[in-house]
Amino acid sequence: MRRHRTPWFTYPLAVFFAAFFLIPVIYAVMSAFKPVAELRLIVPTFFPRSLTLDNFRSAWNAVPHFPTVLFNTFLVAVSSTALAVTINTMSGYALAKFRFKGDTLILMIILATIMLPLEVIMVPIFRVLRFFGMYNSLWALIIPPAATPAGIFLMRQFLLTIPNDLIESARIDGASEWKIFYKIIVPNAKPAIATIAIFSFMWRWNDYIWPLIAISSPRKYTLQLAIATFQGQYQTDWSSLLATSAISMIPMLIIFLIFQRQFVQGTVETGMKG
Amino acid sequence: MKKFLVLSLTLFTAFVVAACGTSDRPDFQMMWFSDGTEGQVMRELLERYRDETGVYIELFEIGWDVYETRLGTMIDGGEAPALVRTTEGVMNNFKDLLIELDDVFDTTAYTNIFYSANNLPLGLPMDVTANGLFVNTDILDRCGVEYPVRGDEDIWTWDEFTTEMDKLRDCDDVSVPGVFDFQGHRFMAMIYQQGVKIWNEPFTDSNLTSPEAVQALTILHDFYQNGMISKEVFVSGGAAAEMFQTGTVGFHMSGNWRVSGYGDNDFEWAVIPMPTGPEGHRATLLGGKAMSAVQGSGNEQAAKDFIAWLAEPANHDEFNNFVPFLSARIGAEIDFGEFQEAYSMFQDEINATDPAFVSDWLTQTQIPGMYPMINLMTDRAAEGVMTPLEILEALEASLIAAME
Repeated sequence: MRRHRTPWFTYPLAVFFAAFFLIPVIYAVMSAFKPVAELRLIVPTFFPRSLTLDNFRSAWNAVPHFPTVLFNTFLVAVSSTALAVTINTMSGYALAKFRFKGDTLILMIILATIMLPLEVIMVPIFRVLRFFGMYNSLWALIIPPAATPAGIFLMRQFLLTIPNDLIESARIDGASEWKIFYKIIVPNAKPAIATIAIFSFMWRWNDYIWPLIAISSPRKYTLQLAIATFQGQYQTDWSSLLATSAISMIPMLIIFLIFQRQFVQGTVETGMKG
Repeated sequence: MKKFLVLSLTLFTAFVVAACGTSDRPDFQMMWFSDGTEGQVMRELLERYRDETGVYIELFEIGWDVYETRLGTMIDGGEAPALVRTTEGVMNNFKDLLIELDDVFDTTAYTNIFYSANNLPLGLPMDVTANGLFVNTDILDRCGVEYPVRGDEDIWTWDEFTTEMDKLRDCDDVSVPGVFDFQGHRFMAMIYQQGVKIWNEPFTDSNLTSPEAVQALTILHDFYQNGMISKEVFVSGGAAAEMFQTGTVGFHMSGNWRVSGYGDNDFEWAVIPMPTGPEGHRATLLGGKAMSAVQGSGNEQAAKDFIAWLAEPANHDEFNNFVPFLSARIGAEIDFGEFQEAYSMFQDEINATDPAFVSDWLTQTQIPGMYPMINLMTDRAAEGVMTPLEILEALEASLIAAME
């Protein structure tokens, strides 16, 4: 058997692209530790000449209720992700493995909602949130974005690859539909579930437009809303903004490091990209 | 294991329910944006108002980029904030949705009031902004630039300014002679400095294509084209202050809102007189922020009560003293602390501006969408693809069309 050889340029190219995407992020994190004067140098420094935590202190003081804001962001991201995984897996399973009247139409309607940018439907969404009494409540950040059309579609595509025979034989053995879901579908869909979980957490953690529509009380702000307040009409508080941005990256890094294997596997198998 | 999962899930759900609940519900809200510490100062005033009246007003801040979008969404969605911090641009864009405040405060005690079509005030003016010229005196002194200071009888003309600032081009450690803030606000003051009003009363014909106005735009156009001022600001839309703070830029045409932000500059700086036209006309453009009340919030009277409280001299002055800002209250005495000299220069610019220019500019701010039009036209000057006259003819046509 001929052994496949990796072309010589693959690794340099991979390093180049990794650096291309990583350098701005590392630069932003490094800048969060620079004194204000160093941030203003006309020839910027990459690594801080002198490390300071002043930017973090000023960000902490500038954002009202900073610990609450951090907690809100975490709570919204975790709850919404748990809900997203549950709803997307169930919906994807229904659309992949059950034939019922209107199933294709439902799928088409779900997919059609991907085509509408959020900005276009901001006011109708606002009215819906208000109608359900969710305006200015963290529920508004947790429940509505949980069932993402992209998540349902990707889960359906992934579950199509699970043989129907597996499900049929479980039914013949007398397993209930719930048992089939928990004992067969969920374990087999782990890579897709991990991918959806990571992306959902990332989307909710970084979400700006949705909280902007749904929340008006500073005690219910998420980190992204708090970061945006550093931008005024004439001035932007870059040092506080960079420090808060650096803080906001930490949970994402932890999540990625823990689920790295499932993330890569899921991305490859579902074709999902960030 | 199963019990543990159920218990964890129950606890987490209880936690979420508790966190999503509301405690200490405000009576109503105030929408705000900040360029510095003024949000914190207003929060302290709101706490005092709560102590005095028992009314809890919650301040929530929104980034400037999405400020008007957010306000529009809230009003359209039936959740209008009772109070909103406004600029003349915001008041202009939302003028039909703001409450007229003629019975709330004494208009004769304030300057720079934005009026509705009924000639009634749409906001309590809180602070006054004025254009002004910041210079890095370390650089100017090192490079031999001669410049006037406050109190000098002979203020420099634009020609003299250009001659002096040209010296910075060949000076070491100067990245660019100067920067202009983005964008139209700075240019419109230059027209008045040439000694001409934009509108002929009764505000139907403009002087935008007059030789004086063309001369004003020619100065800006040439500055961009010959490298006197950086095009980076025009490209990025707002990095002028950051460039000036590098300590390698000679001058920054900006306004008093920069003063406190420049407090920690690690070089010597000052605010000096802006140049005049050939006839010696001095002019700055007034702007500022106001406190407005929004229709349909359900708390209209309570919002007006707060504005009436805020209009009391002691409360109004407390806000401007603690930021500090130039006050819109006539006769207010503000302690600018370490920035006294800089603010005195801005006050000097305001005092030297012909009131006819001030009222002319206020007329301008009533034109729907006039800021984007002026900004677009000054962008054209930076691009250098149209002549100043062509740019001004297009601007005149746009403004008159918008008025009609």
